[in-house]
Amino acid sequence: MKEAIESRELFVLDGLGVVVRGTYHKTPADNSGAQSNLKSDRLGVLFISSLFPTRAANGDSAVYWADSFAANGYPSFRLDCPGFGDSDGEPPPGLFEFINRGGYGPILSAKIKELIARFHLSGVVIVGLCAGAVSAIWTSAASTDCRGMILMNPYFYLPQAARPNFRERLSAWSLQTHLGGVLSKCYAHLKEIRLFLSRKSLPKNANYLLLRRFKELASAGLPILIVNGKDRKSPAMKSKIGEFDYLAHVLKSSGRRGQIVVRTVEGADHSLSNRLGRLGAKEHAEQWLNARFPLTDRQGAVISTTHRNPGDSENGCACREQVLNCN
Amino acid sequence: METLCSTRSGTPELARYFAVPGAHLYTVLHQVSYPVARALLIGPLAAERHETYHPWVRWARYLAAKRIEVLRFDYRGIGESTGTFEDMSFEDWSEDVHLLTEWLESRTPRVPLLLHGLEIGGIFAANLFDREIGNALLQWSPPTSANEALRLNLRHWAGLEQLYQSPENRKSSSEYIRQLEQGSPIEVDGYLWSCRLWHESFDVMLSASSKDDSLSEGLKRRVGVVKLSKDASPLVRPHLRVDEVRDLSRLYSDTFDWVAEALALSTGETNEGSN
Repeated sequence: MKEAIESRELFVLDGLGVVVRGTYHKTPADNSGAQSNLKSDRLGVLFISSLFPTRAANGDSAVYWADSFAANGYPSFRLDCPGFGDSDGEPPPGLFEFINRGGYGPILSAKIKELIARFHLSGVVIVGLCAGAVSAIWTSAASTDCRGMILMNPYFYLPQAARPNFRERLSAWSLQTHLGGVLSKCYAHLKEIRLFLSRKSLPKNANYLLLRRFKELASAGLPILIVNGKDRKSPAMKSKIGEFDYLAHVLKSSGRRGQIVVRTVEGADHSLSNRLGRLGAKEHAEQWLNARFPLTDRQGAVISTTHRNPGDSENGCACREQVLNCN
Repeated sequence: METLCSTRSGTPELARYFAVPGAHLYTVLHQVSYPVARALLIGPLAAERHETYHPWVRWARYLAAKRIEVLRFDYRGIGESTGTFEDMSFEDWSEDVHLLTEWLESRTPRVPLLLHGLEIGGIFAANLFDREIGNALLQWSPPTSANEALRLNLRHWAGLEQLYQSPENRKSSSEYIRQLEQGSPIEVDGYLWSCRLWHESFDVMLSASSKDDSLSEGLKRRVGVVKLSKDASPLVRPHLRVDEVRDLSRLYSDTFDWVAEALALSTGETNEGSN
């Protein structure tokens, strides 16, 4: 039984009486004996878990991404949030409310401090998927060590009150029948007209506090990559017809200093865990990391070959080029 | 780097890698100073691993608090373990279970060993138990074959996929099965199911001697089979809403009573751990 193997190491962060467990994906430099020379100038990539799928994420996609980023020279870390996976504690009551209101921000920012001290990092790029992306925004806002964010399928709204039963049945019917589909589209168009007439103001269930934090981070010039899976029912990445376009809103509100890049991956599922989703997100994230946070010569010199995970295509993925980019 | 840390209940949890041919298994040992028994928790595969993880970890902690040392793990190619899922076979996963049991049996002091399988893990546990390994066998909702487990997972996943796909791209589970039988792999919940895996799954059967609890009556080695109801979700399908956590303390308590009886543990011994 070993605590570390050639490519990975298991660790525990137990400061402030909160036990959080994680996995460190080593870079080639870690195994080359060069790490003693890498003082505190390494930028880490930190994955925050999202709800119940553990730090491995659905389909073990976070393991795949962390392996790949580490092989490209970025030390990568995956954490189970308190109450989930192997970490201690229980999920807080009203979990979504807790996450959407930034409940994990303070503790995760404290854990980042521990991580940085322990692994001699200069800072971290925080990665989160769905609810993990929401926690990533709150954590970045609470942390002085965040250098960038990769947000996968983030959402900026609060759950709506439960719909009446007849509306649930109506919705199911519209999905299952041709006539229902046609009527559903008409209804969506009417909603879009109503949105247009109301000057595209934020919906009532928008997460105003989260949007404000995001705006603060973006307008301060924090590099942000947003990766979205293409909605398989919708012809473009733009929000579904009749729905408020949060992406357009956050891009517009980020101001001149905003460094937000938006990428979309065709054929991906919501969790980006299917093959196309994983590969597309990996390639976009690596391009972005290399462009925004290039490795120093010393760090890059150790990486002699381009790492490829099993199943990666030689010609790259079917990723669609940038749809929205404020740069 | 240190990975040993105590939970709030005071039970240390030691996360480590265990070498198996061609890979390293991720294991967590819920360490007990003076154990009255040991248990190997043999969980489900692939996407089911993620769905059941939360209550599975809590069950391990529950047992450890009762002075039963517990080892849980991820199979090769899944979760925190290394290896590629699509390269693995049921034989590999069965070997994982066997090697970990050997490791657990080599620990001192020697105490009774419980093999506890959940879903397809129940098949691996039962097949090992048939080889005279372990002092008691407990199975939660074991399928009759690995193929039955794969079919259930596929049906559930295909049903959910239909909600997200446009009508022209929707496929039923039987269409996916046809695809597998015609030699094309399919991707389920982020895991690539090879045709080889599908064909092998027909041969991985629940052993006959461990199907029926009553067959073990009068024998020294007890067998427990519990078909979990939907109240035990997310240990069984249908899983809960993603933000819902169910209190399974009654299930844990009832199951522990069976374990204590099956391994002939005295109440005094197990109470010491919970104080």
